[in-house]
Amino acid sequence: MAEHVILFAGPMGAGKTSAIRALSEIDVVSTEAANSDRTVADKPTTTVALDYGEIGINEAEKVRLYGVPGQRRFDFMWTILAERAEGVLLLVNADADNPVETAIEYVKEFFALYERGGIVIGLTRADLVPRALIEEYANALADEMPDVMIPVLTVDARSQEEMMTLLMTLIANIELKQAVADSIGVGVGSGGRRAR
Amino acid sequence: MTLAPHLDSKYIVRGELALGGLRDLAPSLRYASLLTEDGFSVVSVAGNEFDSNRFASMASSTQALADAVARELQLGDNEFVIVAAEEGHVVQVRVQGHPLVLAALFTDRETIGGSLTAARRTARRLTTLLMAK
Repeated sequence: MAEHVILFAGPMGAGKTSAIRALSEIDVVSTEAANSDRTVADKPTTTVALDYGEIGINEAEKVRLYGVPGQRRFDFMWTILAERAEGVLLLVNADADNPVETAIEYVKEFFALYERGGIVIGLTRADLVPRALIEEYANALADEMPDVMIPVLTVDARSQEEMMTLLMTLIANIELKQAVADSIGVGVGSGGRRAR
Repeated sequence: MTLAPHLDSKYIVRGELALGGLRDLAPSLRYASLLTEDGFSVVSVAGNEFDSNRFASMASSTQALADAVARELQLGDNEFVIVAAEEGHVVQVRVQGHPLVLAALFTDRETIGGSLTAARRTARRLTTLLMAK
């Protein structure tokens, strides 16, 4: 059976667990613990190892969804789970402090996965801020990484339909990159996170 | 607003007392940490060759994964976690009634049974210490 392994990354409170719950066709495996750091995200629990869900595209294809903890102190889990992943669905909460810088920081962190497969950015909670212009993110990315093409969409992490659109955008990017690599006879990049 | 355990002097002082007792119970203790279940180090003792924050984060993830396995397999509550390696082992137990985990690394001079007994006894003692006014 062919399978896609997709990572859900982004800061604490961006909606990674909600997104996987919205998408998964199986009961999600969660590793939540009481949240001691309510100043960063005011929610009772936080993911400390991973979330896991699955989607069956057809009888021969499955998408495995892995959510990583948002806090940097769990970055060893980012490395472990990035090893098998083909792409990253990066969720950034638009109402957080410095969301544009955060998005760029995470893109750099998972850049090896961009080279191997792809990254898409989903801006969550965009309705809660006066301005969350997609262009602002796209322009900042273009300034920072001129040769990089990363789609940016606003999404509601709780919406199965919106998250599916974002996921399919990512998978299309991954398959396109793979097809281009196959046609010119080179493999796409490999490896984990980019060295900092 | 309730103070998080890793910032609360009650947890820090009583945690130090309990972990000091663990060292007396098990001389082969190499390192021990009392951590919040979401991976903040409250207090640690013994060897300083480890990054206490990283140890606490890894112990938090390990504990949550073990809990998830027990839950998925419908085994009831997970009681403890043991990571046994060639040159030592890590034992983790929850502190009953509090969002805390005790994680202790022992050298291979201690049996796993002995380490587990010492860790459980320490967690129970900490529960008692935290009940006192």
